[in-house]
Amino acid sequence: MTAAAGVRAPVRAGRIQPHARRRESGLLALVAVVLVLGSVSLGATQRQLAGQPASWLPADLGQLAIYLGALLVAHLALIMTGRRADQVLLPTIGLLGGLSLLLMERLPQALVTQSLLGRNFGLASIQLGWLLLAIAVITIAAIGVRSDSWLRRYKYTWAAAGIALLLLTFLFGTEVNGALLTIQVGPFSGQPTELIKVVLVIFLAGYLSDFRPLLVAADLRLGPLRLPPLPYLLPMLAMWAMALGIVVIQRDLGAALLFFAVFLALVYIATNRTSYVVLGLLLFVAGSVIAYQLFGTVRDRVDIWLNPFVDASGKGYQVVQSLYAFGRGGIIGTGLGAGLPLVAGRLPIPAIHTDFPFAALGEELGLIGVVAILGLYLIVIERGLRVAASAADDFRALLAAGLTLVVGVQAFIIAAGNLKLIPLTGVTLPFISYGGSSLLANGVVVGLLLALSDRGVEPPPPPRPGRGRRPAFLGGARSAR
Amino acid sequence: MNRRDRAPIGQGIARIGIVLCLLFGLIAVGAGYWQVLRASDLSRAADNPLVIAAARDVVRGRILDETGAVLASNKKDANGEPYRVYADRSLAPLIGYASPVYGTAGLERAYNAELSGQGSPNSLDDLLSKLAPGAQRGDDLSLSLSLKLQEAAVKALGSDRGAVVMLDPRTGRVLAMASTPTFNANAIADPTTAVAAFTRTAAAAGQPFLDRATMGEYVPGSVFKIVTSVAALGSGAINASTSYAQQPAAEQTGLPVSGFRIHDGHHDFTGSLALDYDQAIEVSCNIYFALTGLRTGGAALSSWAAKLGFGAPLPFDLPTAASQVTNGGGNFGGGFKDDVELANAAYGQAETLVTPLQMALVAATVANGGVEMKPQLVTSIAGPGGRQAIQPAVLNTVMSPSVAGTIGNAMELAVESDWGRIFTSGAAIPGIDTAGKTGTAQIGGSAEPNSWFIGYAPATNPTVAIAVVVEQGGHGSARAAPIAGSLMGLWLKTLSK
Amino acid sequence: MDPYVVAIWIVRLAFLGGLYLFMFGVTRLLLRDLRAATRDPSGALARLVVVGSEVSEPPRGTVFGLDAVATIGRDVNNSIVVEDDFASSEHAALTFRGRAWYVEDLASTNGTFVNGQRIDGLSAIAYGDEVQVGRVRFRFERARR
Repeated sequence: MTAAAGVRAPVRAGRIQPHARRRESGLLALVAVVLVLGSVSLGATQRQLAGQPASWLPADLGQLAIYLGALLVAHLALIMTGRRADQVLLPTIGLLGGLSLLLMERLPQALVTQSLLGRNFGLASIQLGWLLLAIAVITIAAIGVRSDSWLRRYKYTWAAAGIALLLLTFLFGTEVNGALLTIQVGPFSGQPTELIKVVLVIFLAGYLSDFRPLLVAADLRLGPLRLPPLPYLLPMLAMWAMALGIVVIQRDLGAALLFFAVFLALVYIATNRTSYVVLGLLLFVAGSVIAYQLFGTVRDRVDIWLNPFVDASGKGYQVVQSLYAFGRGGIIGTGLGAGLPLVAGRLPIPAIHTDFPFAALGEELGLIGVVAILGLYLIVIERGLRVAASAADDFRALLAAGLTLVVGVQAFIIAAGNLKLIPLTGVTLPFISYGGSSLLANGVVVGLLLALSDRGVEPPPPPRPGRGRRPAFLGGARSAR
Repeated sequence: MNRRDRAPIGQGIARIGIVLCLLFGLIAVGAGYWQVLRASDLSRAADNPLVIAAARDVVRGRILDETGAVLASNKKDANGEPYRVYADRSLAPLIGYASPVYGTAGLERAYNAELSGQGSPNSLDDLLSKLAPGAQRGDDLSLSLSLKLQEAAVKALGSDRGAVVMLDPRTGRVLAMASTPTFNANAIADPTTAVAAFTRTAAAAGQPFLDRATMGEYVPGSVFKIVTSVAALGSGAINASTSYAQQPAAEQTGLPVSGFRIHDGHHDFTGSLALDYDQAIEVSCNIYFALTGLRTGGAALSSWAAKLGFGAPLPFDLPTAASQVTNGGGNFGGGFKDDVELANAAYGQAETLVTPLQMALVAATVANGGVEMKPQLVTSIAGPGGRQAIQPAVLNTVMSPSVAGTIGNAMELAVESDWGRIFTSGAAIPGIDTAGKTGTAQIGGSAEPNSWFIGYAPATNPTVAIAVVVEQGGHGSARAAPIAGSLMGLWLKTLSK
Repeated sequence: MDPYVVAIWIVRLAFLGGLYLFMFGVTRLLLRDLRAATRDPSGALARLVVVGSEVSEPPRGTVFGLDAVATIGRDVNNSIVVEDDFASSEHAALTFRGRAWYVEDLASTNGTFVNGQRIDGLSAIAYGDEVQVGRVRFRFERARR
């Protein structure tokens, strides 16, 4: 093997040998028990409300069995390929997905229908399909991604791909609820915004890790504030502004907020400068004020956030009904399947399977359930940030942190919106909301996190000479030789 | 560049992790707020699907008057579905209606949660009810209302539009609250006639659905002089013997106020006598009160009126509209634009607007020695868990007993004295000393003025206070005063025994 | 009280309890990991100890925690900076490849030595071996457990 710096052939980390993952096995067993209990309680409740005779059969045994089977297959695949990835992520995601499945089974199946090959599929079946696909994506990414060079080397390509996807959606997308978010190909529709988030995080991680020393050196001083040097900050900001602009034009305010938050967080992690964060927050406040003045939709959202009860049957309807749902839940909830009283034969909350699953679960599982779900997301965040903290180099650390934040901050945004803590936006609750694009994109995130957490993965190349160093004519150090 | 700047990336990650933990903690706190602290509020809102669903499934509670007579109860239709029936037409729009088609209105709406059995804040009951679900009963409401008095009030108003509010000044409990025109709530609650009746009522002239007693806003005219009296006497701007030298002359020429002339001239018989406070109330002298208003000042008038409840909706079992002394926004003190507006407002014109409930409270406050009680309609709620009585509460101590005594004395003279009788004929109750004040509110144009009366009886140790307004009824003594006298007489002599 | 309804509530509460049991299980793992990590706060995979140094930086006795990749050289961007004129700017790299550790000479001027022997390119390394870069000698040790 040659020793040319920075150029080396990928190295296999030894023969593939199965490696037991006992923690994961134990946790998955617990997940299975919990989901069976949930399913049994749902089934019993549904039968009781319909006046049918008592029975302890789970609500939809077939779907639950398929789902648990998929988790088992993923688990076995990780064992057989000897991966030493994190053992908590898959069970936690499995539990969240299982909750999603239970919720979709409990909601009216007619909310979403799809016919495929002559058969009609309802809400729960379609969600199950997407969940299985997501588990497959997680497994493939966790096992298949052995090297991150394809992620770190082509960062500008990734950035371009992200912008291209955004433009595509903008130009060819179909308008749904006043936002150009969806692209339809035949019977399938998807929301590329979900994937764009991941792509842009990959770009950011690559960019920030490459230029990390320089972003911290030679600051621009603007009074008490320290700004990163312009030649390096400008392209990044420009790209960012472009992405945000397009998202705002599409009226996807939740995604814009998410992008901005993740961007700020990654910049802080990379440079450790609070002044950058302060500057970013000031920009955010300024941008919000401008948006409030310019866009009527923003004004509406803020007004109904501040007092939705004023227009409880008009614009504030969704938020008010969401709060009512939480109130009906109380501490222990109404029980799976027993909440959501129908109004004129329909559910009280519109878009409950996409925008308000948190409220539905809040009603049926109570405060206890809500805290548990928040805890599950915190577990995912903790595992992701742990991977980031113990990563082999800056790029992996930033990538892991960015991916974790994409999931964690999104969960925060929609949960807080449901509870009127921040204005409501249209983002999905990761792994719980209905939606194929969301599940797949989050599956990619978790798969990559698992891959990054695997200690057997090829180590990153050492920092190459000439990279991350200021050229001599700008005053940088000269080569040692 | 030194190694110091290459701070471990882990530090930033740990900090971001802590921030996220705090953010999620915030969500948990928010959830706790809505799911525990505000849960019972939310569960009582009329548009909460839980309440709507419960109203369908639960035997709705009854509404009873102060004697126990049933005002609202349930009957079953041909399919066995329950529907609402009401004792008398005079109860609408106060009690309102509860209809599966048109929802709820009036008291049925305000207490929908309790009547549908959702009102129990007891968490143990709540828990037990979860374990033993089944057909529930709603709670029964007992009111302070007297059905017979209510019927008499509506009959007295006749085909005129107007309102009557009668309450007990010692407790604030509402004895009658009538608003005409009324409507047939039974026809709306009955599913077979609901649609036709609702459409007819909604299109009817006179807006029958509007509860004029709580939501009607009227120019008060001279009844507002009582409010001015509270401010003037309470702040010490005048006392009972205050008189104005320029007042007798101004009766002929009008009182000049910044180029505007305030006219009076409906009590020529006082001649060149400079009236004192009692006399001014007896003859309802506009000039006197215009001068008093200017002397009291806009700020004091506004703030004393606010003590009585002006400027905000009154706390009550039903929604109420706010009364006002001025539209506000002016910088002459208290929101008035200038002295002309203040002078005109002082005798109940300009931008003053009042609800009948507010004026009844004004009379009740004077009657109760200056202590204003909170108006109350529901006296107890009886459910399977027991009876919960609602005690009277003090809303505000507005003025001292001596000020209240001065005003009350003048109001008694206004009804019982020779001069007073000229203006308040019909208000006096034979055998019982009565106190009161009429009002003839000009509403502009060629329309007849609103006929007003507020007062209480007996003059010493009063047990009933009243406010009557008849839209475009003419002079106060033409319609409002006789209605008030007869209703107070009916209550004191017959019904309250 | 309908026994069936009570039973359903017991199942519901068991479901909620199960969620907490899961979180409790994960927290226990977390604490166990934390305890292990505090014994070795750097979470290093291995260590390099300076057993002999004729230069000011790094002095003798310094202990470096190693991640999967560590570079040694004179340039400040290296994981381990050796301020020695006899060391090249990018002198050597130590890598962990899933099963074993390797040291690689990055075409340095004066060479990298393992246990006194000059290495060429990639060479396997085991705990206890001595690595010399310029005028600094390191000993490669396992991470403290």
